[in-house]
Amino acid sequence: MSLRLIHQLYAGLAPWLALALLLTGRNPFPTRVRGVTSLIIALLLLQIPLGGWSLFSWIRTLEPNPSLTLSGLLVVVLWQRFRGAPLFRSEDWSVAWIAGALSALILYPIGLGLTSVDTYAWGWQPFLPIALACCATWLLILGNRFGILLVLVPLGSLLHLQESANFWDALVDPFYGALSLVMVSLMILGRARAVNASFAEQASPSGKGGG
Amino acid sequence: MPVALRTLLIATLWVICGAGFFSRNEGPRPGFAVVPTHDKIGRLELKNPLTLRFDSAPVNPDQGLPMVHVASLAETSDGILHCVWYGGTAECHPDVKIYLAHKEQRARWTAPCAIMTREQAEHDLGRPVQALGNALLIANPDGTLRLLFVTIAMGKWSGSQLNTCLSKDGGLTWSRAERLTLSPFFNLSELVRNRPMPLLRGGWCVPIYQEFLGKFPELLWLEEHHYGLSYRKSRIAGGCTTFQPSVVPLDRATAVAVLRDYSDDRKVFRSLSEDGGATWSRPVPTSLPNPDAGVSGLLLSLSRILIAFNNSPLDRHELSLSVTGNGGLSWARPFAFEHEEEATFSYPFLMRTTDDSIGLAYTRKGREIRFVLFNEPWLENQLGPYPYKEP
Repeated sequence: MSLRLIHQLYAGLAPWLALALLLTGRNPFPTRVRGVTSLIIALLLLQIPLGGWSLFSWIRTLEPNPSLTLSGLLVVVLWQRFRGAPLFRSEDWSVAWIAGALSALILYPIGLGLTSVDTYAWGWQPFLPIALACCATWLLILGNRFGILLVLVPLGSLLHLQESANFWDALVDPFYGALSLVMVSLMILGRARAVNASFAEQASPSGKGGG
Repeated sequence: MPVALRTLLIATLWVICGAGFFSRNEGPRPGFAVVPTHDKIGRLELKNPLTLRFDSAPVNPDQGLPMVHVASLAETSDGILHCVWYGGTAECHPDVKIYLAHKEQRARWTAPCAIMTREQAEHDLGRPVQALGNALLIANPDGTLRLLFVTIAMGKWSGSQLNTCLSKDGGLTWSRAERLTLSPFFNLSELVRNRPMPLLRGGWCVPIYQEFLGKFPELLWLEEHHYGLSYRKSRIAGGCTTFQPSVVPLDRATAVAVLRDYSDDRKVFRSLSEDGGATWSRPVPTSLPNPDAGVSGLLLSLSRILIAFNNSPLDRHELSLSVTGNGGLSWARPFAFEHEEEATFSYPFLMRTTDDSIGLAYTRKGREIRFVLFNEPWLENQLGPYPYKEP
């Protein structure tokens, strides 16, 4: 199998899984049959020709290198939807969103020219995979399941699954980065509301029982 | 998660990282190749110091396209000059093609032939391409020619990507084009322009630039291998003031970059590297004006630097040459070799040929690629003897 075909097949994985997830929608009773049907319909939808090119080709034009983290997270979500058994717990998801948001904040503003330092160039250096391996090891020691997914990042990079040889592209992409920033913002907002509510409860006369 | 599984995963992770560490190719190392004609004191030896030479001829006299632009030159080891440019109805138009012409010594340019079309790029890359753009030729020491070219996926220049292909027969046939991934955000938007520099340990340092959220200068480090191309990039400066660098190595470690200006200063900027191009000083304005137009620099004898630029802060109606003897701190009074009101002369590309002449290609009035060949004695005849008086 040529490297070019491997790149094309891998680039199609994330759009396929994401489309299948969208087709499943918020159905409260997803079955295995529905899951397989969603995957088949998503595959067919990606072949729809638009302006002489398939929908997949247009998506690949926009993002030829979906990150291995995003592809892994989509597999986890679909698995959880159709098998019912949760693979990731709440704390695993929290770490996934925090990792994505931190990566996006480090990579995009500086990588797109904010300073004379180019964080994207770090992706061609050997220290970035080692830094990721240290983080993944720590998460695995703590028993966080996002650490298992991080093992796939250097593996995919080693196997040249992506068109890009830059390690950042294996770790994060604009979709995963943007989604992570939204989720982390919601987490922070949720925490802030909880803290406010707790303060309000403490400050109120009924909460204190006097005053 | 069971402890045995965790241990197995951690061991697997580090084995993968170890394999990746030892198989990873970081690309070429900084350090410029010394110009072959440098003598021991770092000066160029001129082969025919007393003969004045100046020739000027169109590269594409009968092409008849509404727009041609961004010429680049390369000379293969057999002494044949190659020139590439793009042409079509207008910039970013779907009918734009990349053209190539050759010139043997003391011969005319061959008729231009299209070496890359939008359809060919779409076929090679397996995805839609809206238009083609800037192209650059690299003449490898083994006689092969590498073409770097811009494709536009969407919008205009900010939606562009860099691609490459290789010719082993002097430009007659080309390998399947492949995409270079150089930017983290949807691989937008990298462009190429100006002469590549050979590196000390093999490979090339190619000036590139980004114009997406900001416009800033970068360097692409390329290395040819038996299995293909390895590459990485580095940055000269960030922000949104200067771009389209032209790098002039003075020796293995020192290089000066002259840059197109995007700010209100309307000056040619300069930046200095003292570690073979790895890091660069903050770009500062020179005394030369710049109307937000491309510039090109070249090393002369006595470690002087020649620059071709538009000598106006407003428009591109005059194309001039000037020389600095102190790394760009001060410049000689410019010599205008193209000047016509209401006309444009732009995107100069300077190179040194193997017979010690200086080749200059540029866009003349938007419809012609002009090639000028001169030597240092001719240049000194125009600018006066060194050291120069500042204007």
